[in-house]
Amino acid sequence: MDQKDKERVLVEVVQRVLDAYGGDPQQVEQAIFDTIYEERKRLETEIDKDLTQKQSRMYDRIHGDALHADPMRQRELLKEIARYFANEVVGHFDTRVYGFATKVAPHGLNLLLNAMSPIKLARTLPNGLSDLDEQLDIIGHTDTVQELAKRGTIVMVPTHSSNLDSILMGYAIYRMGLPPHVYGAGLNLFHNKLIGFFMHNLGAYKVDRRKKAYLYKDVLKTYAGCSIELGYHNLFFPGGTRSRSGGVERRLKLGLLGMGLNAYVHNLLDKKTKPDVFFVPVTINYELVLEAQTLIEDHLKEGGKGRFIIEDDEFSRPKIILDFVKRLFAMDSRIHVVVGHPLDVFGNRVDADGQSLDHRDRPVDRTRYVLRNGEPVFDRQRDEELTRELARAVVKSFHRNTLPKSTHILCASIFQWLQERAGGMDLYRLLRTGGPDESLPIAEAYERVDQTLNALRKLHEDDRVLLDDSLMQLDVPGVVNHALVHLSSYHRRPAVERRGDRLFHVDRNLLLYYRNRLAGHDLERMEANQ
Amino acid sequence: MSPSDKVDITVVGGGSFGTALAVILGDLGRNVRLWVRREQQAEEINRDHTNGRYLPDRKLPECVHATCDMGEAIEGAPVVLLVVPSKSFRLVARDVGEHLQGDQYLVHATKGIEVETFMRMSQILREETCALKVGVLSGPNLAGELMVGHPAGAVVASRYDEVVRSVQRLFAGGHLRVYGGRDVVGVEIGGAFKNIIAIAAGVSDGLGFGDNARSLLITRGLSEMAELGVSLGGDVFTFGGLAGIGDLMATCASTLSRNHQVGEQLAKGKTIDEVIAALTFVAEGIPTAKAVSNRAKKKGLDLPITTAVHAMLYENMTAGEALTSLMSLPVGDELSALRY
Repeated sequence: MDQKDKERVLVEVVQRVLDAYGGDPQQVEQAIFDTIYEERKRLETEIDKDLTQKQSRMYDRIHGDALHADPMRQRELLKEIARYFANEVVGHFDTRVYGFATKVAPHGLNLLLNAMSPIKLARTLPNGLSDLDEQLDIIGHTDTVQELAKRGTIVMVPTHSSNLDSILMGYAIYRMGLPPHVYGAGLNLFHNKLIGFFMHNLGAYKVDRRKKAYLYKDVLKTYAGCSIELGYHNLFFPGGTRSRSGGVERRLKLGLLGMGLNAYVHNLLDKKTKPDVFFVPVTINYELVLEAQTLIEDHLKEGGKGRFIIEDDEFSRPKIILDFVKRLFAMDSRIHVVVGHPLDVFGNRVDADGQSLDHRDRPVDRTRYVLRNGEPVFDRQRDEELTRELARAVVKSFHRNTLPKSTHILCASIFQWLQERAGGMDLYRLLRTGGPDESLPIAEAYERVDQTLNALRKLHEDDRVLLDDSLMQLDVPGVVNHALVHLSSYHRRPAVERRGDRLFHVDRNLLLYYRNRLAGHDLERMEANQ
Repeated sequence: MSPSDKVDITVVGGGSFGTALAVILGDLGRNVRLWVRREQQAEEINRDHTNGRYLPDRKLPECVHATCDMGEAIEGAPVVLLVVPSKSFRLVARDVGEHLQGDQYLVHATKGIEVETFMRMSQILREETCALKVGVLSGPNLAGELMVGHPAGAVVASRYDEVVRSVQRLFAGGHLRVYGGRDVVGVEIGGAFKNIIAIAAGVSDGLGFGDNARSLLITRGLSEMAELGVSLGGDVFTFGGLAGIGDLMATCASTLSRNHQVGEQLAKGKTIDEVIAALTFVAEGIPTAKAVSNRAKKKGLDLPITTAVHAMLYENMTAGEALTSLMSLPVGDELSALRY
């Protein structure tokens, strides 16, 4: 984003956020005090003392002023806070860094890992760093996306299971020949300085998730919208946070997703030559997830006690990341990034010429969805529903483009056996006790994995899931073995372990986590019908 | 209305209900295009302002213009209302989809479910057209009564406020009061499911059981309707409205109801093949019973009246046997399926 755009965005973001509060003085006053309340609460736990002092003084002053101010002055004060937030967000997005990224990105993951421990890595990886490139498969509609990036603005929306996703996506975007994308990354990602540096190179700006005030969230959302409007390609995780359960996202953050439609209508009103915004759903498929243990534990915590932000997980320790990546490479573990069919802001598929298509591949004039009496207009209720259409299409694409790995297949098969054996036992009790049997004969496991594979083949025929060709070439014992090697390589305790002729379930939380990746695909029903 | 006049709404389907709706709208001064399948029928409507096959006793307003050309029918219409039998719905919708644009509202008034896929009509519209702004019109609307101008009510449901408001505006001021709603699933399920219960009520009336039995069928039928609807994501309150209990009461009590007539014939000992052979109209309850029964089996839903109607229609069970099977079921708590 050049300096001119940056200033424009700053003014625009503040103005739009204020406009959203309308002329209602009560709403403005409420917004000021709510924001100050949330911010003071946050400052109580802020570690940076200088920053705390500076911001506390600012909020004290605004609070005192707002108590006696007339509506006009209160609006000014709200504007001041909004501008402060906007400066924070926009300020972290550096023009030079963004430009620099194009040159640095080729090194992608290599740069990250080199920076972390070049000597160690060179020693542990038999074929050197070129392996990284080979281990990442980017498949799907990459050509269409490349074409569309010339015709409009791309918003990349991937599934999210690990903090490594951001780095991987940055690299995948480079490999697809696309310019870096603007990306709002959580502050916790920047705590690791090396990763923070890398994030900047991907076009990332900092998002402080501890700031709970609606005003701050509005600023962030509006910033994303404005950058889309100006033609900067964006990336965000529509699930909002890493999937705790291990499942593919089903509920998406509609506010952020709706920014695409918002930008599109603004562009139509401004009669821009390239008004279009294209969403690209992406699935990232790992055999193993770095933070699996922490995430599933958080998921299983009693209702409401789960944490939205986890700052002390595996990702905060570079040694663990290194160890994880090293082991993945040693096992020839492929990571699949599947690029789904690009969608317009209404969820229709778009071809390489930028033409929206209906279910029967007939061309659709997409501008018409937002016209009233021939003119583009905003309509909050309509736009919320249209965004839901997009969300449904993205979720459908996520499921269709899930590429089950051997760990998911084995864990789904074993977990189903476990549930059947436990005969309706409460999930938590089952996870704690493991049910009546601690193991099953390997022959039965093979049979069950075979059933799961057949169910997946059937789903694949109906275009409801993808298959990993190299995995499907293996025989059933081969698939099981592949999964067992992975499961026993990185996690402290494996989900499943082979001892002699039997398979033992060990860490049942992990078993559930990897099994959940296939939840929502109706696998159980498919198997029952066989 | 001449073909060049600005159109307010297009009704797709020139059967009795489609024509009745076109008449109501025409009487309100709306410019209506009516798509019909047969050239002869279109000519008759445009020349004589009659639709002798479906509406022998009533003149159509002059502002109703008929056409067989779907492109002509759809072009420029802000609202398109589909009123065709569920059996041909997909094909007609596909044809509509060839001409429809995204700013047009697409509403249907078909009370059925696609047997092969268990899809609701609005889902078919989404598959076969580019329309996102879809809706459904349903309620106790027996065509015969609508034609003669008796007061009636209906509900139009859509996720989009603009669709609801627009349809309400079109019907405003007439004898059909159109209420608004957002629960598309509930309204569609209510409209489709009541046809099954109407067949059962026809059987009951045909066997001469009287009001108590009919009332039992209606209320237990409502419970089944709600169980199915809620399982599909509908709002339980919808079934207490026009598209639920409202439609059930009208269709189960009225001898004008086609599905009711099917039930009566079955009670008289006719086989379903004989009943179907003698039908001059479409009774949506027959395919809907099959679709719902299949679904109930798959999802483990307990819908005894549906099962009995299905057995009469497709498994050669007699009315007496069906009744015995229903009456011998264990009696549980009345609202157990919904409350617990």
